[in-house]
Order: sequence, then structure tokens, then C-alpha cells
Amino acid sequence: MIEIISPAWLSIIVDEGRYGYGDIGVPPSSPLDLTAYKAIGYLCGSSRSNHPVIEVMGNDFTMKIHTDMVCAITGALVNIFCDDKPVQPWTPFLVKKGSVVRVREVIEGLRYYVGFSGTMEIETIMDSFSTNIECRFGGYKGRPLMRGDRIDIKDIEERTIVPFPVDLIPRMNQPHDMRLIPGFEIDHFISDAIQRFVEKGEPLWYTISSKSNRTGIRLEGEPLIFRNGVEKSIVSEGIVLGTVQVAGDGMPIIMLSERTIGGYTRIGTIAKVDHDRLAHVKPSDRINFIPVTIDDAERLWHHKVQSLSFLYTH
Amino acid sequence: MEFFKYGEDAIRIVFGNTIDHTTHTLLRRYYFFLKSLRLKGIRNIIPSFTTCLIHFDSEVTSFQHIVSTLHKRRNELESVEVPEPMLHEIPVMYGGEYGPDMEYVTSYSGLTEEEVIEIHTGTIYTVFAVGFMPGFPYLGPLDKRLYSPRLETPRLKVPEGSVGIAQLQTGIYPFESPAGWRIIGKTNIPLFDYRKPPYSLMQIGDMVQFVRI
Repeated sequence: MIEIISPAWLSIIVDEGRYGYGDIGVPPSSPLDLTAYKAIGYLCGSSRSNHPVIEVMGNDFTMKIHTDMVCAITGALVNIFCDDKPVQPWTPFLVKKGSVVRVREVIEGLRYYVGFSGTMEIETIMDSFSTNIECRFGGYKGRPLMRGDRIDIKDIEERTIVPFPVDLIPRMNQPHDMRLIPGFEIDHFISDAIQRFVEKGEPLWYTISSKSNRTGIRLEGEPLIFRNGVEKSIVSEGIVLGTVQVAGDGMPIIMLSERTIGGYTRIGTIAKVDHDRLAHVKPSDRINFIPVTIDDAERLWHHKVQSLSFLYTH
Repeated sequence: MEFFKYGEDAIRIVFGNTIDHTTHTLLRRYYFFLKSLRLKGIRNIIPSFTTCLIHFDSEVTSFQHIVSTLHKRRNELESVEVPEPMLHEIPVMYGGEYGPDMEYVTSYSGLTEEEVIEIHTGTIYTVFAVGFMPGFPYLGPLDKRLYSPRLETPRLKVPEGSVGIAQLQTGIYPFESPAGWRIIGKTNIPLFDYRKPPYSLMQIGDMVQFVRI
């Protein structure tokens, strides 16, 4: 069992995502840094392919351990202490009954993932452990974790400690270069910036707004200007993680995994190779959109999957 | 019907570009056809007004594989079983504290509250899509006399059951949530129950009649 002493700013249970119900509006609520999520399974040897882990934001996540097992923390680079002894992120470590694990500080990135060599005993809702915060279902009683919450760990497996290849841990600092596949309604805008972006491949840059949340990352900067006579909204339709919508005020919003349908104009989709980085953008960070063709985006993704084949091959 | 790539792991099938019943009927049949194929590696199928999005797992399948399978098996489209739409009667408390935008809608349309309610309850709507959030039905078409623009700045919160209108659509918020539509009333009918299949009261193609209480 684990017991939450401090949930930091926001701690929620996620698994690979709630799929299969998009036709009734149920979003995936998937982990934002999929590589870090999958790394937990690799490091802790949880044999389930869709294991639940804790996605945390903020300093000072603390938990008390009531069972001997292996624990790992991936994602953002953090200072971790186990009973006041420092332990490394992206590296599994042994914890014992009575141990206190504390993430003191986030050094680089934003969200980190906490997992174990066993399965957290929580109920699945519509085939998934993931928390839908807005609709209050899934995860731990449909809500973020709070001080005093206790979660049993079952099916603990013996585990040899293997660290994650250090050179494969991504950097998460700003500026965040995000490859964007331009498309959809990008021709609804006449701004110089858009023209230079499309024609010359110049980056389109923004800063991250503090109004961002797990539904969408709001951007601030030079507003995009709508062409005369075009509608500012489209006929609502299905969207995916990484879609960049533009609200009526000309400001882009990067949609994450809490919406199935959108009705704003779109300038494109962030290439999948850069999706993990979406978990780590912080208010006032700079983000650069760099145009990429769909073919190049597919190639980049293929390379990423190959270099991380121990995580991504089924 | 046209197939487009939507990022590296989704297919956007476009059936038309206007909201109408012909497009809707074809799209709905196609959606049931897609479901009936039980293709491997499909994560979500999201049908809406004019498009159907297929989100797939690119480690299991591919755009090319899915599109060629759809072409090969297109003769099954005609024979696929399309369920009869259900008709839902939704009781609504209009105006006052339940409909904070009723006043705006009356002044924008030049109609009285009585007339707005009469027109809103006088049509049987079609569920063109369910989404953005679990169980939210996009209903239409709304009578042109009730056309209302969205709020410039969305409200941070409306209560669950809020009935809104936006442009030529009307809809119901199943959960307390931010909302950019003009709220004219509220219903107490639950629209989504995560414990009980089929979870969402409304499915694409269903019919809705609002009743004043």
C-alpha cells in the first residue's frame, strides 16, 4: 500500500488512455508524456500493458510506502529523496515498508510519473484507470489524489534494477521547438507571420499562457488575423491530441487529450514526435512552431519509435 | 467522400461541407459500417456533422491499410444494420435562473420569451454528433429565428443539464463545465452514466423533443 502525504499541486491516476468511446464524447485522458509513462512499465516491470501510474505536477509530492517493492519516477527531471537519501529519476529504486519518498523539487520539465513494480488497486471505469477530472470519473474515486489517500498495490513482481539509457532521456527545457503539420483552415488567416511560416518555414512563436490546463495549452503573442469574410468557427468535428485551434481572438490553443470534438479554426497538428514535450511546457515558456510535412513527421515518429523500441513495440 | 490524413495517426473522412440530413444519413450509415468491420488497431471513431474521424494506433495499423480495407469492403456498406433512432423527450425549465441568456436571446431575436420557448419546443431535433465532452448532444437544425452568436467570452461554469443554443445548433451540457453557448434553460434528465452501458443517453442519429415544464 502507498499513502499520499502530499499530492503536490496536482496528482492524478492515468493509464495509456480511455479509448473506444470517442463516439459518445469520452476523451482519452491519456498521459501527456507517453514515453515517460511507458518508461515506468519498462523500469518497474509491471507486466500489464495498460498499467496505472500517478501523473504529478509541482514540487513536494510525498508518499509513505507500506509495502516492499520497486518504485520509479520518470518525466520531468526531479530531486527525489527516499528516507532522506537522494535517488535518481528515470532509475528504479527499492522502497521498504515505512519508507518515505519525497520529490523535493522539479528541475527541468513539468509533469512527472510515479509508478511501482505492482499494480495500484483501483477500479477501472469504461476500461481505463485514467482520471477524467472534469466529469469526475475514473482514477482514484474520480478525483485528484489528496493527503491521506491510501492505495493498495497488488501483484508485486521481483525486479532486477535496470536504469533507463541516459542518452535517451529527452531534454524538457524551453524554448520548446514543436514541429507543426500545417493544414485545415490555415488559409483562413492573412497574418505576415503565417505567410512566412508557410512559405519560408520561419518559426511561428508564442509564450505559454498561465490559463493553460490539462484540456488545452493557451498561447499568447501576436494574434493571428482572420481573412475578411471567413467564419471564425467551423462546423464542429472530431479532433486529436496536438490539434492547434485558433479562438475568435486570434490566439492559438493546443488541444490535449480531454476533448473529442472542436469547433474553432485550425492551423495544423503538432507532429507526434513532439507530443511528449506538451507535458512539460510551463507558463511564460517560449514555444516555436516549425513547419513539417506529414511525410517528414511520419519519418520522425518512426525514428523515435525505433530508438525507443523497448518501449513502443508491442 | 474523401479521405485525408489528420496527423500521423488519424483519418479524416469528409462526407460533405454543409449540415444537412443527406450528409448525416450517409455518414451515420458509414459510422455503423466502420464499427461493424472491427478493424484492428482502431482507438476511436468520432462521427460528427460532416466528417468522421478514425484515430488509430500507428504501431498496429496504418492509414494505407485502413483506407484500402475500407475500399475492399465497401460493398458491406449497403447491408450493414443501422439501428432505428430513439426519440428522447427532454423536460426543460426555461428562463429565469435556469436560463441566464434568455433575455439576450429575446432581444437578439426580437421575440418574446413565450415565442422563443414555443419555437424551441416546436421542432424535433436530430443528434448530429455526441462529443466534446461525454454525452453532449449537438442538436439541430435550430429554427433560424433563434439564431444566436456564441458568447464572446465563454462562462467558466454552467450547471449540468444546462440547455444552450449557438448559431443554428442547440445542445445540453451533461456536466458542470465551461460553456460558450447561450443558456436558455435546464433539464434534470441525466445524460451520461459512466457505470451503465451504453453510458450516453443520446447516440448519433437519435431524435430530441424539448418539453416545457
